[in-house]
Amino acid sequence: MAPSPRRPISRRRMLQASALALPGAWALAACAREQPLGGPTSAASAVTAPSGATSAAPSPASIPIASPSNPVKWPINPGNEPIASGLEPEANATLRVYNYPDYLDKAVIKDFEKEYAEYGAKVEYSTFNDYPEALTKIRSGSIPYDVTFMTYSSIGRLVYGDLIRPLNHDYIPNISDVWDEFKDPWYDLGWQYTVPYVIYTTGIGWRSDLIGVTIGDWPNPYDVFWDAKYAGKIAVLDDHREVIGMTILRDGGTDVNTGDPVALGRTRDAMLEMLSASQPRVTITGYTDIPEGVLALSQCWSGDMVTGQYYMPEGVDPTVLRFWSPPDGRGLIGNDFMVNLKGGQNPVLAHHFINFMVGKDVSLKNFSWVGYQPPLKALTPESMVADGYVPKNLASAVIKPEWFGVGYPILELPPAVEAEYQAIWQQFKAGA
Amino acid sequence: MGDRSTRLLWPVLGLPAMVWIALFFLVPLYVVFCVAFGTVDPVFRSPVPTWNPLQWQFDQVEVVWDRLFGPDNFYLPAVLRTFAYIAIAVSACLLISFPVAYFTARFAGKYRGLVLALLIAPFWISYMMRMLAWINLLQPDGLVNAIITLGGTIPLEVNWLSGKPYVVVMGLIYGYVPYMLLPLFAALDRISPSLLEAARDLGASGFDLFRRVILPMSVPGIVAGSMLVALPMMGDYFTSDLLSKSPNTAMIGNLINLSIATPGQSGQAGALLLVVLLVMLVPMVLYTRSNARAEVRS
Repeated sequence: MAPSPRRPISRRRMLQASALALPGAWALAACAREQPLGGPTSAASAVTAPSGATSAAPSPASIPIASPSNPVKWPINPGNEPIASGLEPEANATLRVYNYPDYLDKAVIKDFEKEYAEYGAKVEYSTFNDYPEALTKIRSGSIPYDVTFMTYSSIGRLVYGDLIRPLNHDYIPNISDVWDEFKDPWYDLGWQYTVPYVIYTTGIGWRSDLIGVTIGDWPNPYDVFWDAKYAGKIAVLDDHREVIGMTILRDGGTDVNTGDPVALGRTRDAMLEMLSASQPRVTITGYTDIPEGVLALSQCWSGDMVTGQYYMPEGVDPTVLRFWSPPDGRGLIGNDFMVNLKGGQNPVLAHHFINFMVGKDVSLKNFSWVGYQPPLKALTPESMVADGYVPKNLASAVIKPEWFGVGYPILELPPAVEAEYQAIWQQFKAGA
Repeated sequence: MGDRSTRLLWPVLGLPAMVWIALFFLVPLYVVFCVAFGTVDPVFRSPVPTWNPLQWQFDQVEVVWDRLFGPDNFYLPAVLRTFAYIAIAVSACLLISFPVAYFTARFAGKYRGLVLALLIAPFWISYMMRMLAWINLLQPDGLVNAIITLGGTIPLEVNWLSGKPYVVVMGLIYGYVPYMLLPLFAALDRISPSLLEAARDLGASGFDLFRRVILPMSVPGIVAGSMLVALPMMGDYFTSDLLSKSPNTAMIGNLINLSIATPGQSGQAGALLLVVLLVMLVPMVLYTRSNARAEVRS
C-alpha cells in the first residue's frame, strides 16, 4: 500500500502542540520589559508630576503642551539633578551622538576629538530616520547615547519619560553666542534641558529653469501643489505635520496644530484633492532631487536648498535654485535643539560637546556644511549672503529672529488629536 | 534495533529545520499577534504587546477591517492596486522566463550550467542595490534617457521617476524574474525528450507539442514560480518607495511600512499583516493540496 502523502493532524496532537507552545508564551511574557510609562492595562513606574510630588504615570492629558502662548518650565525629577560644576570630562570616553544623517559636519566631530585629545575623547555618530524611531531606541536603553537632537514635538515625552538630564549652565558659556530668545525659550523656560542647534522655515524649493514662473509672485504660492500642470514634477515632504500644516495655511488657516474636526476634515479633503490634481511624490530628499532635476519643485525646509547647491549635476548652474517661504515670516517655522540624555555614560563630556557645537566658529563651520542656519548673533541676513554662507539666489532661505514671534511652530499634540493627524496621513499615503 | 534507529534518523535530521521554523517563524508570528491584539503606550504611542491571549483586544483589527471594507475604505484602492501590479508582473515574469528556461533546459547542452549561473547572477547583488542602480539609470540625465534620445539629439525626455505605475511594475518584474526562472527550468528539465519525440512522431505540430505536452507538464513549475514571485511582491514596499515615492503607486507593503513607522499604529501594522497572511494562505493551501494530489496520482 502506498503511504499516505500527508497524515492529518489529530486533535490530540494539536492539543499537545498547543501545550508545548505555552511555555514559549510564558517565556515571552517573562522577557517583556517593564514599560517606564506603562500601557493602558499595565502598572506603571512612578515619575514626578510638575508640582514635584511623586505620582503614578502621567496620563497623556497631564503632560503640558508647550507653545508660545503656553511657555513651560519643565520639572526636574528627584535623582535627576544637574551634574556638579567644575568636573573634568570623562577620560578615554566614547561620546555617543545620535542624530539625523547628514545633519552634522563630520569635520566638526573630528575637530572636537582633536580639541579633547588630552582626555582621549572619541565620538560615535549614529543616525535615526525620524523622531519616533529615535524615541523608541532611546527609551529601550539598548545603546547609551549621550547627546541627541530633537524638536518641540518630543520635549514633553523626553522629560516625563525621564530620558534627559538637566543642564549645568556653567559648562555652556558659549550660549552667549546665540540669540537671546533661546536663553528662555517657550518650549523650555530657563533652558534647563535644551540648547538650540539650527533653525528653519518650511517653504517651497524649485529650479527656475524647470519651473518658468516665480512662485513667490502668486497670490497663494501654496496653490502650486494643487496645479495639475506640475503633475509628476513635484513633491511634498514625507512628514505628516508639515504637509497638514501647509494645507491649513493654504486654506487661510493659521492654527497648524488644530484639533478641530471640521478644519481637519477640510484639510483631509484638500490633501486628497492635491493627490488627484498634481500627484505629488512624498519625500524628504528634495535637497538632492531638485538639483538633479528628478523633481522640479518640492515642499522643503530652508536648509535643503542651501545644501542643494552642492548636489548640482555637472553643467547646471547652481543659481537656478530658488526658495520661497512667507516673506513676513508667517509660515511654518521651527528649531532643533541638543539634549543631554540621561542614559548616557559621559554627562560631563556631553556638556562640553554641546558647548563646543553652539560656539560661534564651530557653528559657522557646521552651517557651511549642513546648510541649516544656526541662531547665532554673529550672523545677520546680510552677512550670511555677503560671506557666502547663503548664495544670493537663496537669500529668501535666511531666517530673521522676529519670524519666531509671528511664525507657526509645529507643536506636540494630545494623543487623540495626533491619531487624527496620522489617520489623515495614512489616507493620503494610501493613494487615490 | 536497526529499524528503530532508521525510524529516528529522519525526525532527527528534520529537527534543526523544525527548531529554526519555531524560533524564527512561529515565535515572531506570535509576537505579531500580541502586538496586533495588544495596546498602546498612552504617552509614547509605542506598542505594548499583550502576551496573554485571553486579554487580547481586537480594536486594531476592526480599524483595519473598516479601512479595507468599511464605509471609509481608503486602504482598498492600494490593495486592488497591489493585486493588479502583481498580476501584470507575474504574467510578464512568466512570459520572459518561459522561453529562456525552455531554451536552457533543451538546447543549452554543455553550457547549461554556465547559462543557469548567468541567469541567477542578479541574485548575487542585493535587491535594494539593484533598485538603487535603476534610480541612476532612470534619472532625467541617466543612461535610459540618453539612449532613447540618442544622446540628446531627439527632444524627448521622460521623467521615469515621477511616480509612474509602469516603472514600479517594471521594477517588480526585473527584481523577481530569477525566482520564476529556476522552478520553470526545473519543471521543463524534467520533461523527457522522448516524450516530445513521441508527440512529434504521432504528428503533433510545433504548436500542438507546446499546447498538449510541454505546457501541461510544466504546470507545477508555472504554479511554483508564480507563487515564489507573487508572495514576496505582496510584502514589497521598497520598489515603490525607491522608484516612485508617490502615494498613487502605494502597495500593501507600503501601508504596513507606514503603520510600523507611525507611533501608535504598530498594532494596525500587525493587523494588516495578518490580513495579508490570511489572503496569502488561500493560494498556499491550494498549491500544497494540488501538489499532494499530484504526488498521489503519480
